Parts: sequence; C-alpha cells; structure tokens
Amino acid sequence: MLRACYRDCVRVEEYVVVAFAGVGALASVELAEPLHFSVAEMALLVVLCGASLAIFLWRIWPIAGNVLRAKKDVGFSLAPVGRRVWEFFSEVLCQSKVIKQRPLPGLAHALVFWGFLAFAVVTTNHVLTGLRLGVLQHTGIVGEVYFDFVGVWALLVAVAIAGLFVRRFFVRPRWLGEHVSIESGVIAGLIFLLMVSYLAAFTLPADSAALKAWWWVHTVTLLAFLPIIPGTKHLHLVLSPLTVFVKRAGFSDIPKLSEAENEEDFGLLAGKDVTQLIALQAYSCVECGRCTEHCPAANTGKVLNPKEIALGVRGYLNAFGPASEKPLLNELREGQENASNPSPDNPPANWLSMEAAFECTTCGACEFQCPVGVQHLPIIVGLRRGAVNTGAWEDKYGTKLFLALEKQGNALGMSAMERDKFVEREQLPVFDGTQEYCLWLGCMGGYDPKGREIVADFARVMRHLGTSFGVLKKEKCTGDPARRLGNDLVFGSLAEQGLKNLAQNKVQKIVAICPHCVRTIATDWREYGVAPEIEHHSEFMARHADRLPQQDGGAIVYHDPCYLGRYRDVYDEPRAVVKKSGELVEAERHRERSFCCGAGGGLAFLGEEPGERVSSVRAKELLATGAKTIGTACPFCNTMFRDATAAVAGDAPPLVLDIAQLTARSISNTDVKTEGARIR
Amino acid sequence: MKIVVAVKQVPERDAPVRVAADGRGVDAGDAWTMNEPDAYALEEALQLKERLGEGEVVVLSAGPERAESTLREALAKGADRALHILTPEEGAGSLAERDTLGVAQMLAEAVRGESPDLVLTGLQSDDLGAGQTGVVLAELLGLPHVTLVLSVEAQAGAKQIRVKRELEDGWFQQIELPVPALLTIQSGGNRLRYATLMGIKRARSKETKQVEAGPAAARHDEIVRVAIPERTRQTEILTGAADQIAAKLAERLKAEVGI
Repeated sequence: MLRACYRDCVRVEEYVVVAFAGVGALASVELAEPLHFSVAEMALLVVLCGASLAIFLWRIWPIAGNVLRAKKDVGFSLAPVGRRVWEFFSEVLCQSKVIKQRPLPGLAHALVFWGFLAFAVVTTNHVLTGLRLGVLQHTGIVGEVYFDFVGVWALLVAVAIAGLFVRRFFVRPRWLGEHVSIESGVIAGLIFLLMVSYLAAFTLPADSAALKAWWWVHTVTLLAFLPIIPGTKHLHLVLSPLTVFVKRAGFSDIPKLSEAENEEDFGLLAGKDVTQLIALQAYSCVECGRCTEHCPAANTGKVLNPKEIALGVRGYLNAFGPASEKPLLNELREGQENASNPSPDNPPANWLSMEAAFECTTCGACEFQCPVGVQHLPIIVGLRRGAVNTGAWEDKYGTKLFLALEKQGNALGMSAMERDKFVEREQLPVFDGTQEYCLWLGCMGGYDPKGREIVADFARVMRHLGTSFGVLKKEKCTGDPARRLGNDLVFGSLAEQGLKNLAQNKVQKIVAICPHCVRTIATDWREYGVAPEIEHHSEFMARHADRLPQQDGGAIVYHDPCYLGRYRDVYDEPRAVVKKSGELVEAERHRERSFCCGAGGGLAFLGEEPGERVSSVRAKELLATGAKTIGTACPFCNTMFRDATAAVAGDAPPLVLDIAQLTARSISNTDVKTEGARIR
Repeated sequence: MKIVVAVKQVPERDAPVRVAADGRGVDAGDAWTMNEPDAYALEEALQLKERLGEGEVVVLSAGPERAESTLREALAKGADRALHILTPEEGAGSLAERDTLGVAQMLAEAVRGESPDLVLTGLQSDDLGAGQTGVVLAELLGLPHVTLVLSVEAQAGAKQIRVKRELEDGWFQQIELPVPALLTIQSGGNRLRYATLMGIKRARSKETKQVEAGPAAARHDEIVRVAIPERTRQTEILTGAADQIAAKLAERLKAEVGI
C-alpha cells in the first residue's frame, strides 16, 4: 500500500518529462562562471577549504582507526579479482542491486549517484576557479556540451532527491525505522541546494554580483557537506565502493577460526574478534532497511533485526573500540541495564542481543539484499560461535541437538540402526564404488518419515532413468545445524568424519535431496578437506527432464528453498521439473526473494518461536496463490509446510510434495528397471 | 570443596554387541562413550563447583588406553584434573576380569590419595548395570553414602550436605549427611552440558596422571554364561484376589524357576 502511495507521488514518467524539458531549456542557455576573484576571496576560500577538510579528517580518523586496527580476516584474498571488478562495475557503478530490488527509490538513488559522478570534474573546476585556476572552457563545443550535460544531471538529481525526501519524511516506509532522521533531511537539503546553485549559473550573466553570490552558495554548501559525511550513514559515499569491492567472496562465507597459538579464537565474542571487513561493513551500513524488509524473523514479531546487527557492531565499535574485551552480546556483558539509560558504558538492549542472534534462520535474504556489501551471515554466525564455543549459550534444545550429533551422529537423536533398517526395507543399493552416484540421505532422508518418502521416490526416479547409484553403509550428519548455530567442535568433527567416509568409499559424485547437505558438503566442508562433487536432485532431474513423464497435475506453487535459491543460485532447474508435473505457479515472493520456511539456521531443532510462526506466514502466502499443491525441493521446507498448512488450512490442506514425489507419481512399477526393487 | 568423580567408559548405546567366542563375555566393537549416569555425576559435580564458586573437580577412571578420550571429554566439560588407572585391554587384569570389589579397590586406592570432600559415581553402568561399584567403594573408603541421588545442596566449608534421592512412583527423599561422603548419581537430575571448543582447547593444558593398575585379585563371583536374550512369547496373567495371585505366583516360582 505504501508502494502504491509512493507511486502516486513520483512516477518514472515524471523524470523523463523533466529531463527532456531541462535539456530543451539548457540548450538555449550558456553557463556563466564568475571570472574575477579578489585576493581576499581566494584567501577566504583556502581557509574554508582547509577547515572543511580538517573537520572531515578529524571525524573520519577514529573510524579509519577502528577499521584498520581491527583483527585481520583469516583466509581473506582479493583473488579472483575479475569477479570483484565485475561486481564493482555492476553493483556500484551501474547500481544494479540498488535498482533491481527496490525499483523506484533505487532508481532515484541511482540518479543522485550518477549525478555526483557527472559532477566530479565540474566540482573540481568550480573550486579551482575560485583560485583563478579554472581549467574548463565555457566557449567551444566541448565545454558547452559538458556543462549542459551536467546541467541535465543537476535537474535529475534535484527531482530525485526531492522525491526521496518526500518518501522519507511523508510516505515513511517502515523499513526506514520509527525515528525520522533529521540528518537525512539536512543532507537532502544540501544536495538540493548544490543542484539549484549550479543551475542558477545558467540564468545569470557573467560578472554579475548575483552570479558571484550563487558561486559562494555552491561552494559553502559543498564545504559544509564534506565534514558532515563521517559520523552519519553518508559515510557510505566514501566507504561503500570499497566495501563492495573487498567483501568476502562467497555467500554466507563463514571464515575459519584462527589457529594461531598465542590467541584463542572462538568467534565473535568481544571487540577484539571483530575483523577489518566486519568493521568496514558496520560503518558502511546506510540504514536503508532492505535487510529488515526481507527478514523472516523481523517480519514475524521476533527481536532480530538484521539492520540492528550491523548498527549494533558499529555502536559497539564507537563505544568500546576494536581491541575491547567486553563481550559483543548484551547478555554476556555484566551489569546490563535495559534501554532506559543507554550510554557507551550501558548500550541499549537492542544492540546485539543473544535472543536476536539465535532467532536467525540464516535464510540470507539480508545479505542478498544489501546494496553496500554488508554481509550479515558471517556476523550472526560469528556471534553464535562466540556464545556456543564458550558454552555461554544454554538452551535445552540446543544442548539436546549437540549431544545427539555427538553421540548418535544425526540431528534427530535416533539410533544409526534405524537408517540401516530403512535402507534395507527400501532395498536401496549400497554404494560399492561401482555405481555412478552416491545418494546422500542426510538426517531427514535417513530418519524422518517424510524425508524417507522423498528418498524412496527419488530412488524410483533414478531407477527409471537407469542411473546407477548406491547409499553409504554408514552416514553421519553433515553438521549443517552445528555450523549454523556456531558449534565448531561438533561441526569440525562431523566434517572430518564425513570426508574420511567419502574418501574411504571412493565416492566421486554425490546427489542429495537436501539443499542443506549440498551446501555444507560443497562449501562448508572445504575448511577440512576436499569433498567429491555434489549436486542437488533438482539439478540432476532437470538435466534429464526430457525423459521424465509429463503429467497434468494442476497448479503447483513452487517454493524456492533458501539454501538452493539464494545460496546456490538454483532457480530454474526445480521449475523445469515442476513443469513436467503440472502448471507452475509462482508465490508473490519467489526466486531470490523467496520467504524462508523457518527451519534453517538450526531452528528446526530448537523450541517454539515467539510471535507468529515463520512457516505459517509463508504457508499462507503459498496458499494465497490458489494452488492445491505446494512443490518443495527441501525436506525441511516439506516438513514445515506440512505442519503449517495443516494448522492454517486444516479442513482442506493442500498437497505438499517434493519435486521427486511429484515426478515419481507417474512412474509406474513397470518403468522401474531394477530387479528386486520394492513394488508398491 | 574437592570432588572426585569416578567415570567409566562403556560401549556406545547402539553399538552392535556380540557375545564373545568363549560365551562368557561380550565383544563391543570400537565405539565407546562415557557411561551416562557418570555423565550426570560429572554434571552435578561441575554445577556444584559453579554454585559454590570454588572447588576442584577431579575425574577418575579405570580402564585401558582408550579410556583417555572419556577423561579428555570430562576435562573439556570442565573437570580440573584427571586420574587414569591403566588396565590392559583384555586378559588378566583387564576390567572384564575384575569383579566389583576388585574395581572398587583400584578406585579406592586412587581416591584415598586425593582426600576429597565428596566422591560421586554414576548409579550404575550402561553395560553391566550392577549398581554396586559406588556402594562398595564407599564401604572401602569408610564413607557414608546415598544412592539414586538427583541433586546435591552444599555450602562451602559446611560439614553437612543435603541430597535429593529418587524413590518409586514420583516420590523423593531428602537426606542430610556429613561430608566427606559418597553419592551415586541417577540420570536425569540435571541437563547435561555440551562439550565446547573452548573446553577442548583448555583441556589440553590440564593435568592427566596415569598409573598402572595393580594385579587383579581372584574374582569372588563367576560368570557362567553370557547370552543374547531370546525372545519368546510366554505371557500368562494370574487372576484372582491379591493373596490368591501371590500363592499362585509363589508356586510357579518354586516349580518352574527353581527358587
């Protein structure tokens, strides 16, 4: 509704009309620059420039210090540079993410940014003119065209910034927060004034006193702007191009803990654990709230707000600095009062709370959306590591999960014999090195009743396709829930055992039904060794889509799992498979905007959540499409939606089926090419 | 307050177990873990130390080399020191060749050297389930003991402690006794803690003392046969008034079971 409102206020067409009008108007006018500056004026200019620069440096110095003095990032490397250059070009220069994920305000911002770039040379020349060193000629075709070109931008920027001002102060989208930022208003005003003062020069004759006055207005505005930048979110003007360029290479790129002998690294426990990248990102946050807008926790009444995580780190660094031993999480700091009397010694409770840190499903929507390169997941997982690796996190379910992983080797705490019984009952071949694929069951596939159905159906599909596969004799959890909850002891142990198991069995290719298993084996296990190549069953089935039976299963709404979509960039393959089973329908939030089912981050194993259940919210959204079947590609999503739809649409719940189940529906037993396979 | 916790390394819960070739023992494979009631004993000791804000928790185990890992786990969870009485893996002198008295004597010798305020053991072991070692140990040490303890209340320097003991049917008993004392701990009294990375790292610098076990005395009991329980279905329900059922039952026990 706010969006519709805003659309009424500012339309793209308006920009275009204004632009054309502006070009038309300027074509007929010449820009005049005042030619005579007295020695006194030049001296004043030098003094003002000096003061502005000095204040700017004085304000940015401690921030640069906080970033540079922070701990070095373990395993950071600029290579491959090519990708970084591309992302810099696309995200910073072309403003691709800024526009794509929030089109209208994004475009307005992009115009302001491009306008600034266009102004770069002109601004430099403007100041030099005041020292009688102006370099650009106003006469001649190059000079005229350039000044007119910048004039067009001045118009665009003025309109764009006015639109953004209206959005922030009148439309008030809730992602920008409750508190109205006066500083934003001031900056908007300064930018507007800069544009107006530039355009004024087109309407005044050279050598007039009014022209000189406007010249000074432009100059003073500029010099006032510069020192305001540090200490406000407008620091992103200086930092964010760098932040985007140097951000960690992977998505949810959890760094290795430092193994240096003389230091104890358990994760983000205190200021001294905050790394340079994290500090840089904390200071680059523009408080746009795109992360919050897409966060499942923030949208369902939880305490967690990803924006507050980034700002919490910034607030901590401002209060305590990067060498501090004071814990980052509120609850671990002694003598905590609540938000009533916040001060640097007593930061408010919404800065980095343990409760918030453990409400994260690690869906990645925040990190994905961020236009300035803040990577929330390594920070949140880092905070969890600090709490879990030191035993500070005492949670009934969390402890039960860690003990189950340690003792039984699976997240459900069941005896390993149960998996053996399932494998035998379902007559799944045992992997002996001769088959093409190792079918990885995972905890859900091996122990959960519905997960097992998905495995059984996928096995049928593979048999139908004539692909040879086998399952490992013994299999332990990949450690995904331990990794996301920050338990490096359990995760490391499971990763090492898993790699050894795969190597001993000479596994070369793995296919798995669970995106969490795929991500963990393909990426997170790299910290401990080299895993064989692994793919998700949707990728496998899509490759053979032409040999899958075509069915008319009615409308099927496909839900993108977080760990398959945002994490692995796999959106089309599962859709290709769904289309073989029926008519594909999209939920309102789909592909990279898919809204989490609520199970990730280890949360499927923890207790009940406050506020509304994330799974309910998403289930309602899926049901709102009218489809009678929900297609999933992750056994966790499958479980969550089965329960949520039963709660939300109890009397007429939709079918919740994995893409393997959808496909297997029309594979008859005679199609199954293996002897001895279990007939249903 | 100094607390000694005696722990035993036992086969893992779902490890496949086979009867040994000689029919008088068990082949447990190579998956080992800390006995669960002992884990609760350790947890109670650690929580007691945390509540008192001072003290030392010493973990003690008799067993072969592989028992090291269980001791390390205990140190990682927060115990301060470890004592390992090394027995051979099999054959003469191994745990399997010693009876309860023999094991308790080994433990008693180590405990005497420590002069603790409290000795905690698990109620029974997951593999043999005799439930006797703690009790016999208390006797050998001349300490008062309470079994089936769920929780302990103590004050630093106090001469008495108060324990909560589990009875049947949801009933509990509160007992006060002097220290030093021995308590055998029942599972479930506390929430067990998980081993942490920090714990494991700190454990590396904690002291583990290893001593060789003395020779084993002859057993006072004899293992006749070890067999996997056979599943036979033979359920008969005795009916009638209580005294009639009791009479019928007594007759059956005399006639069929040979009591």
